Amino acid sequence: MSESSEGEDVRELFVQDGVLLFSATASFINFVKSVGTLMITEYVDNRRFVEWKPIDVTVDSDIQDQEWAVVNTVERRVRTLSGNVLPEHKNRSKYLRINFEEIKSFRISDKSRRLTFNDGKTEQICTYLFQHGNCEHLVGFLKTLVKTVPSRRDKHLFIILNMNDPERERIDKSFAELNVCNDSNYVWNIWNFQERPVVTTLEAFAKITDLVYRVPQHREMDDDVKEILNKSITEYQHTSTTLSNGEYEVIDCVSDLPNRRDFPRGRALCSEQWNGVQDQEGRIEDSECLKLIIFQGGIVPSLRQEVWKYLLDYYPWNSTHSDRQKLILQKSDEYFSMKLQWKTMTKTQEDNFTDYKERKTQIEKDVTRTDRTIDFYAGDNNPNLQVLNDILMTYVMYNFDLGYVQGMSDLLSPILHLMQSEVDAFWCFVGFMNQLSANFDADQVGMKEQLSNLHTLLAFIDPELATYLDNHDSGNMFFCFRWLLVWFKRELSEEDCMSFWEVMWTGFPCENFHLLVCCAILDQEKQSIIGNNYGFTEILKHINELSGQLNIEKILNDAQGIFYQIKESDRLTDVIRVLLGLPVLYNSSLDNHETSPFVISIETSNESSNHPPECSVDDVRISPEEIQFEKSISSNFI
Amino acid sequence: MEHTEPHSTEPEMANRQGAAQRPNGAQGKICQFKLVLLGESAVGKSSLVLRFVKGQFHEYQESTIGAAFLTQTVCLDDTTVKFEIWDTAGQERYHSLAPMYYRGAQAAIVVYDITNQDTFGRAKTWVKELQRQASPTIVIALAGNKQDLANKRMVEYEEAQTYAEENGLLFMETSAKTALNVNDIFLAIAKKLPKYDQNQGQSGQGQGRRLAEGDQGAKTPGNCCK
Repeated sequence: MSESSEGEDVRELFVQDGVLLFSATASFINFVKSVGTLMITEYVDNRRFVEWKPIDVTVDSDIQDQEWAVVNTVERRVRTLSGNVLPEHKNRSKYLRINFEEIKSFRISDKSRRLTFNDGKTEQICTYLFQHGNCEHLVGFLKTLVKTVPSRRDKHLFIILNMNDPERERIDKSFAELNVCNDSNYVWNIWNFQERPVVTTLEAFAKITDLVYRVPQHREMDDDVKEILNKSITEYQHTSTTLSNGEYEVIDCVSDLPNRRDFPRGRALCSEQWNGVQDQEGRIEDSECLKLIIFQGGIVPSLRQEVWKYLLDYYPWNSTHSDRQKLILQKSDEYFSMKLQWKTMTKTQEDNFTDYKERKTQIEKDVTRTDRTIDFYAGDNNPNLQVLNDILMTYVMYNFDLGYVQGMSDLLSPILHLMQSEVDAFWCFVGFMNQLSANFDADQVGMKEQLSNLHTLLAFIDPELATYLDNHDSGNMFFCFRWLLVWFKRELSEEDCMSFWEVMWTGFPCENFHLLVCCAILDQEKQSIIGNNYGFTEILKHINELSGQLNIEKILNDAQGIFYQIKESDRLTDVIRVLLGLPVLYNSSLDNHETSPFVISIETSNESSNHPPECSVDDVRISPEEIQFEKSISSNFI
Repeated sequence: MEHTEPHSTEPEMANRQGAAQRPNGAQGKICQFKLVLLGESAVGKSSLVLRFVKGQFHEYQESTIGAAFLTQTVCLDDTTVKFEIWDTAGQERYHSLAPMYYRGAQAAIVVYDITNQDTFGRAKTWVKELQRQASPTIVIALAGNKQDLANKRMVEYEEAQTYAEENGLLFMETSAKTALNVNDIFLAIAKKLPKYDQNQGQSGQGQGRRLAEGDQGAKTPGNCCK
């Protein structure tokens, strides 16, 4: 069960491939943004580690062989795509190894794709991005080894309890439960720490003391108090500059974002550009720049059918013509074998398989009423309905646990209409569902999390509206449920929906951009909602009635404007940074730590994949690579 | 047990747009009730509401995602009854959201499809849940929808009627497609809703809202139905 390396006996308890090192301490800067394998290991002296090692060879982005696996035998599971076992390193010195004792907490974010380990003092040790699947299996396994307690102030943060130290456990637990820095409700931002460190610190502590001793049961500020405070602060700021030198303020009650800039939509990706970015063998070298063009202007309709296959992870960007031909054959075989699985099920089998039967019945009910007003699905006995049905049924066999949930037929419908091919539509749908599967959780956790994140963002952008919603039973943001569940499918025409989705699939300009889209619409509707003094029911009705009324170009423009307002705000908090996938600085109000010189993130390592260059038609700040890219496009035009 | 034989009446709809109108000025009373539709998916919940509120029927009514909210006002003698109708998604996966809708509801219509026995079973589960979790004074109506497909009937009228009697439910077979009993079931509910009782009805569950401008008559609790 062990193997010798560097003279140490080590057992790999858990191994997951396809994990990108997103940020790490300085000594591992060279590996930041490399893909590797994350492991939980146990050494002969019972010390346990979380270890990450970079993959030495270039790994194809095909997901097949990069899935996680629990390894409890001596067998190594470090393979390349071709299945070759890599030669073991002679020693593990290249590994980013964290002793379990160093880890005081970890945080899960980005739909469980991002995992950050913290040392409990000031620094995050490192952050990993799970490129395929998510970190749930790893975290699940980790939790079998250590005792954790979710932080009360941040439900995504898990504090590791030290079982050897009961005192420590009590302290950790009480801090977790203390809930002092409630996410976004009220956070003290200490402005002049540098000038008056002692006074500032004491005052901050005094406020925490007040908080703890005065009202231990009910620490949240009453909404009306908040509103009054909000008002008074806003008014005060207008009449006086004194407050800007003040010691603290209630962050979510102050909106002083930079002015919103205009980001007119760009030109849609056209076939000349598309052909220009492919090399002779059909590889797309710089997919990020391509995505940026799509983000800014979408795709011309005639090109959608092809480009969507890339955006939805059916075709790998770096695949050649011949790769894709092979892939199509392989994926076609795979599809039809899965289709055969349900096609050949007998009546008796179905009767003895309740979960399957339920899914089947639900699909039948929904397919007959999906987009029947669109010609492609209109009319009795329309054969396209059968295809819609078959793809959804095959998806049930592909991902039985998720199965079929209402809303999925809406997500498939435009894809099938566009692809006009059962197999292509299926695999594109799989790619889409990989992004949205959390929306369909049985316990609605994924939706609730998004609604809560939306509230957090709105409270930052527009505290007045957020407070209004809170005071009108609508702080749960439930009226946005349909928007989020099917990504505005019910609000937009098919054409607009396609334009919207492809923009969202690019991943630009930040994570959770769809939530900023929600904020942009809410901003637009703010006067109606507040002006009419709408309550929960009227808000829901009003929002539902926006269906068919939305101008998607304007909304994308506004959402992008909001993104830069947030990004350029000097009040940006770590909570918001995390939500938008911006690098966490650890010097913001939330943590009040000094900036750690050791944390290196992608942004500072000159990489731009996660953070698009800020560019628009009017305001172009693009990287040298993109200039090259633009040139290549231009030369192709000529 | 209240039971209405299938027949179609046309109650006086105060206004298809939903705003209460009192032609005779101050003499009318206005009350407002929250009503929730529950039931298995594709039994016709949204279609019943659409028929009742807009007088329309769509053969391929799309599935409801999240919830829809509509209002309709009916006149009962000198009383104007405003229904605030919550239409919900039927699939079991969305069950966990249901309490948000029936909390504070004064009335519920539990819908099943007479051509599908499973949906009747699901309706019974909804009734149980309402009896256990919802307001104890909630008025529950059972609607056996798709009566126009009676030739494919899988749930006998008598079976459902007996069940409704045993559980103190209003019961009608309805058809959103032909409009059969659609207005009637809402009217029957309106008639059965509590009158003269300020602790029930609108003010009872903390969910009643202030009425729109001009609906002064209803602002005093107890000044509700005739």
